[in-house]
Amino acid sequence: MMRLRQWYERFLESIVIVLMVTLAVEVLIGVTYRKLGMSLAWYDEIASVLLAWLTYYGAALAAYKGAHIGVPELVRLMPRAWRVATVYVGELFVFAFLILLAWTGVSVLDVLATDTLVSLPKIPVSYTQSVIPIASVMIIIAEALHLPERLAEARADEPVIVTTGDP
Amino acid sequence: MDILYIFLGLIALILINVPIAIALAIVATIAMIVVGGTNALPNIPLVMFNGATNFPLLAIPMFILAGAIMNASGISRRLIAFASALLGFIRGGLAMVNIGASMFFAEISGSAVADVAAIGSILIPAMRKKGYPRAFAAAITSSAASLAIIIPPSIPMILYAAMADTSVVQLFVAGIVPGIIGGLMLMGSAYWFAVRFHYPVEEVFQLKRLWVTFKDASLAFTLPIIILGGIFGGFVTATEGAALAVVAALVIGLIYHELDWAHLKAATIEGGVQTAVVMILVAASALLGTYLTEAQVPQTVARTISAWTQDPLAVLAILNIFFLIIGMFLHSAAAIILVVPIVMPLVLAVGIDPVHFGLIVTLNLAIGQQTPPVASVLMTACSIAKANVWEVTRVNIYFIAVLLLVLLLVTYVPVVPMGLVDFFYR
Repeated sequence: MMRLRQWYERFLESIVIVLMVTLAVEVLIGVTYRKLGMSLAWYDEIASVLLAWLTYYGAALAAYKGAHIGVPELVRLMPRAWRVATVYVGELFVFAFLILLAWTGVSVLDVLATDTLVSLPKIPVSYTQSVIPIASVMIIIAEALHLPERLAEARADEPVIVTTGDP
Repeated sequence: MDILYIFLGLIALILINVPIAIALAIVATIAMIVVGGTNALPNIPLVMFNGATNFPLLAIPMFILAGAIMNASGISRRLIAFASALLGFIRGGLAMVNIGASMFFAEISGSAVADVAAIGSILIPAMRKKGYPRAFAAAITSSAASLAIIIPPSIPMILYAAMADTSVVQLFVAGIVPGIIGGLMLMGSAYWFAVRFHYPVEEVFQLKRLWVTFKDASLAFTLPIIILGGIFGGFVTATEGAALAVVAALVIGLIYHELDWAHLKAATIEGGVQTAVVMILVAASALLGTYLTEAQVPQTVARTISAWTQDPLAVLAILNIFFLIIGMFLHSAAAIILVVPIVMPLVLAVGIDPVHFGLIVTLNLAIGQQTPPVASVLMTACSIAKANVWEVTRVNIYFIAVLLLVLLLVTYVPVVPMGLVDFFYR
């Protein structure tokens, strides 16, 4: 289990690094070409798609690290049994929504089957939009792997303070 | 009535610690199903994808990455050395250095949490060694870092500009004068503490040392000139300026021969996670926004409050109190994403300048980062100082009072934030 968790974390981290670096390089190429008076038609659209991919694949890593912005203060004040119960209830909502998102995300790909990007007609929209169902499943796995840690925190006498990714 | 249920549902989910982004998406989904039936379901993945493709917000990962590279390349240490040579001779020298270094760092980084982590990890242990109380060291580092988010560049300002559809460049310019005034006022209050509790002088002022540390940090000083000069001069957009900052930080790191690749890798991952947690909130709020706009909630809020008062000063007072309270319970990014789209019609209806209001919101949320229970910057400073949050807050209350004074000044003396904006852009 521990090895699976480590592997999954490294896998998500690799995706985030690749996307961050690709995004930075793409923006730089776009800026350079614009300054040289040869604006790239696909720059804005691809950068926006990369940002969406970073958002959702990064959200899977954030879920694994328990870094999504939340308000844990009230739960921390509850008695232990209530804390554990709220973790289960909260996770139920999270899993239910993510399963719905993954399902609707797949069904919408069929609808988009014939659409392509405006600036790069060779790339189908279903390819860029696939991030929603794929990342939803990845977030579900990350939440499931993070769950034992959350339950351990809820059962501890002194709940651990989890820092979030607020800028 | 439906709206009331939506907000109650949202609050209930947030209070049981469902991540705010998921809570937003859940209530929006339920609202969409109630209104449009299951036919509305395919809209959910489409809106959530489109919500995350907000082009101006590309500046967020870029500024976070630039900050991460700078942190991994020894720039913070050089800025602190220069601030020490410049301000260390004053009583309570390290507190002055702390505020000064935060202000320098803020001109490069757009994040208060990055600021408190970079400056605090070096200066809080140094202050402890010199005999400063733990609570004071954490409090001054924390407040200075939060003030720094009104000094450009600033991620909350980028978020606000996207949500309010206003100029990010003008917002950046509006933050300069209040940022400097706030920094000087914080230094004044830290000096009062230093005299009262006999905090030490750090070093004797030496012009030679000032010159040496300035030379050592000179490349770092070129960064704000390149980034801010480029953005303010209209040569590059905020996103392009952020990308420029990434390159400049990398080049400077390579010249300094101090680029720590392991640190850089960790910081890139952390930057990706920070970007994702903010952007997923933006995407989820787009989903709820679709419903709120259809239900005309922002317009209803505007009508209700403007029927009561049309005086911009009174509306600003109401909104200030509202944001100060919400800042205690929500992180700054969440507060901007949730509240700004709802109050903007009201702000515009009573004739408040959206740039002026943006600075007020940013400053309010900077104070929110200092007020428990939800206070990300204060928590980070306390964790570095290994200090109790409430003990730090007892000292920090004086610095929060200073930030409140700056807020009053910015709110009711518009020329303070808007003077430069009017001069350069209008």
